[in-house]
Amino acid sequence: MTQRATTPMILALLVSTLGFATLIFVQEATSPPLIYGAYYAGTLFALYLAVRVILPHSDVLLLPIVTLLTGIGLVMIFRLTYDVEGVENLAITQAVWILIGSGALLLIVLLFRDYERLFDYKYLFALAAVALICLTFTPLGYEVNGARLWVRLGPVNFQPSEFARIALIIFYAGYLAEKRDLLAATSRSVLGVQIPSPKYFGPVALVWAVSLGLLVFERDLGSSLLFFAVPLLMLYVATGRLAYVIIGGLMFSGGAFATYLLFDHVRVRVQTWLDPWQNPDAEGFQILQSIFNIADGGITGTGLGAGFAQTIPEVHTDFIFSAIASELGLLGATAVLLAFLVFVYRGIKISLLAGDDASKLLAFGLTTMFALQTLIIVGGVTRLIPLTGITLPFVSYGGSSVVGNFILTGLLLVVSEKAGRRGPGKGAAR
Amino acid sequence: MNAHVRRTFYLFVAGFVALIGMLAYWQVYARESLANNPENGLQTRRAIESPRGLILARDGETVLARSVERPSESGNNPTYERVYPQGPLYAGVVGYWSTRYGATGIEIAENSNLSGNADPATLDELINQISGGPRPGNNVTLTIDPQLQRLAYELLAASNTGRGSVVAVDPKTGEILALVSHPSYDPNNIDDRFRELQQDPSQPLLNRATQGLYPPGSVFKVVTAAAALKSGVSPTAVFFDDGTYEQPGYTVTNYGGASYGRVTFAQALALSINTVFAQIAVEEVGRQLLYATARDFGFGSSYEEFPLEISASRLGEGNLAQIAFGQDTVLSNVFQMALVAATVANDGTMMEPHLVKEVRSPDGIIIERASPQREREVLDPQTAATLKEMMVGVVESGSATAAQIAGVEVAGKTGTAEVPPNAPHSWFIAFAPADDPRIAVAVLVENGGDGEKQALPIARQLIASYLDLPSRTAPQQNPAAPNLPEGLPQQLPGELQNLPQRLFGENGRP
Repeated sequence: MTQRATTPMILALLVSTLGFATLIFVQEATSPPLIYGAYYAGTLFALYLAVRVILPHSDVLLLPIVTLLTGIGLVMIFRLTYDVEGVENLAITQAVWILIGSGALLLIVLLFRDYERLFDYKYLFALAAVALICLTFTPLGYEVNGARLWVRLGPVNFQPSEFARIALIIFYAGYLAEKRDLLAATSRSVLGVQIPSPKYFGPVALVWAVSLGLLVFERDLGSSLLFFAVPLLMLYVATGRLAYVIIGGLMFSGGAFATYLLFDHVRVRVQTWLDPWQNPDAEGFQILQSIFNIADGGITGTGLGAGFAQTIPEVHTDFIFSAIASELGLLGATAVLLAFLVFVYRGIKISLLAGDDASKLLAFGLTTMFALQTLIIVGGVTRLIPLTGITLPFVSYGGSSVVGNFILTGLLLVVSEKAGRRGPGKGAAR
Repeated sequence: MNAHVRRTFYLFVAGFVALIGMLAYWQVYARESLANNPENGLQTRRAIESPRGLILARDGETVLARSVERPSESGNNPTYERVYPQGPLYAGVVGYWSTRYGATGIEIAENSNLSGNADPATLDELINQISGGPRPGNNVTLTIDPQLQRLAYELLAASNTGRGSVVAVDPKTGEILALVSHPSYDPNNIDDRFRELQQDPSQPLLNRATQGLYPPGSVFKVVTAAAALKSGVSPTAVFFDDGTYEQPGYTVTNYGGASYGRVTFAQALALSINTVFAQIAVEEVGRQLLYATARDFGFGSSYEEFPLEISASRLGEGNLAQIAFGQDTVLSNVFQMALVAATVANDGTMMEPHLVKEVRSPDGIIIERASPQREREVLDPQTAATLKEMMVGVVESGSATAAQIAGVEVAGKTGTAEVPPNAPHSWFIAFAPADDPRIAVAVLVENGGDGEKQALPIARQLIASYLDLPSRTAPQQNPAAPNLPEGLPQQLPGELQNLPQRLFGENGRP
């Protein structure tokens, strides 16, 4: 059965084109944006067609969503950084990253059609993930705004944790699928809570602890949260034991409280969240500017190009959603959130339809990471939860993030291809 | 396994719903309060990039505030400056609008209209808003009569102390016809002079009409008289005044130490006899009824719906015998006393006071138009008619004979509120014509002395001037909206500056 999503694809491209057209009209910008727009549209449409040919049974609807999200991101980044005094023009760079990401997706789709092979190297992936994060502690790594997240390899700067995440999910999916029965069938119970045998639980706990520990020292709160929550939910799905989530939640609370007491930067984040008005010109500045801009948008928004989101520091990365909410309003921002939710829905569906445990867990893990990342950063910029600096998938400016998420999408596509090929008997991925 | 995957998905859906809820909270529920937050500089940025709407007087022609384009230095977008062609004359009503010191008066109260940030009213506006195109501000027309306002301002300026306030109301509609506070300031150069104005001992930034609290003195007897009529005291009831009324620990005397002998209740109001009012309040009315009546008249209310901030008038817990004639702990503002007069004039029904006559889009389309609203019935028509008769007596044969105007029956009440060691505040409240009232007015001259000497002549001239020009009371139409500069929308300025608030008369307890 062939999957088609040409109409959504064209609609997604139209939305981005409309965005650029609006900018040209409102900001009286000249032709350059059209060139980016054309590059981007051509790349993604070619990618869509390629995937249709290479993986005819895959859930190709993921691509229009990716197109929509990267398109909105590109329009916003262009609007926020093009021809703005004292700001580097980042739209071209972002367009290049989208191109590279598309290439990475194509490679995944071409090379890993038999992605099950990846599970044979699961321990290698665990090691690679930890090694990647460790890179930031070598002389290659450097600090930005107090967090040591970046690695400089020759001319390329990247955030290793964006890629380490995916490697870890492959490890957890392979390992948990293999050991899920053993992990679920626990014999011992402590205080009425059943606990797994350390023999089987050990490797998971070890990788988990090491990656978390490293991230805590990197001061990367957002990634730490993801690295904690994704494996926990995968463990829950693999074993079916809510006890893991409860124990994990308690551990998380304990750990969070400990870091709150131990680290100044965590304390500042929490206090800023609780009361940003206390220090509106310093710690509270960013979140307050974000909220002022969001509120400024109202229901229908100030209009593309007519907001003041440049008052938010780092608006093009962590806070790009505030700019969207400001200029597109409650309606536009909700539409963007729903696009994210559709992506999550398709990811979950791929997981449900996947034939074997490892594939199910892989699709679930990737989708969970995508969903949580969206929830954490949007929750942060809207002051629903304390702010932790991570990117909004596909939308935020950032090479590692864009490429990482294209890889994630590629993996979901190959899983969906296999699920789709099993035929309508067990339900096609439609 | 699938069941658990599904369950997790529901968790994510809940998360997304929570995010949308949070967005709705900021963008719908908390939107305005955040826009008004002093830390929010967005509005200031937007504000100078686009013209605000006009503020016009009742005639729809007199411009009280407009925005003019200021040529930009760097060739960027033009910026706009707020100009007040009438200078200090309307400062107490219109207020000022400053990117540095925030805004006051109509400028802040009607900001969402003036800034073009109100909900779109026409399809064009909706399209503009969605596309982010220019949203020029709406024009706000006030109920203020420009000639009456100017006359009131000039008369106050010419009074012996030059400090005071006038409020004039149309008793039948609740429209504010004049609202003056003097000394005033020029809102055109508020940015340069703000600090200086703040420290000026004559307090030009204080809106004496709405926020100055003063002992009302004998004009408060109108409220006491209303309570007395309610409690069954007849205007013809006879009382004896020997010049004093003894209270434990305090003796009430009349102004100037006078004594009047046997008088009726109506005469006691006409001649403003403190001792009789003290006796009536203590022996006939009681604290409860007097306070309830005052509350009905609006004491204790800060008129939340009114665009200007009103400091609530209050009676306090003081000596009832002195409160009866507006001394001791009674504090009121001129706005409140004008409404007392208007309520008696309007057969005991208080109309909701309003200051904005209509709001029009820049194309002249009416967006809001005020209509007279009944606030509440304070007195039944019978009691109101009796009280009105008594107030006519004050002007015909009492302390306010100087307020008589040929051919018009005027009702009024004088007040001389003692604030030792300074000269007393001079008060007068009035309305006319008594049988078909078209204007009610309250005048206060701070430390002006005798009410008959300072406040009364001002009120008399205002009434005479207003009634001499019957054509001006007809509703004015605003056929063609004046030309407006076009531009982008704007919103509230930040930094709301609290006006200095000082209670007057605290040192003035007799």
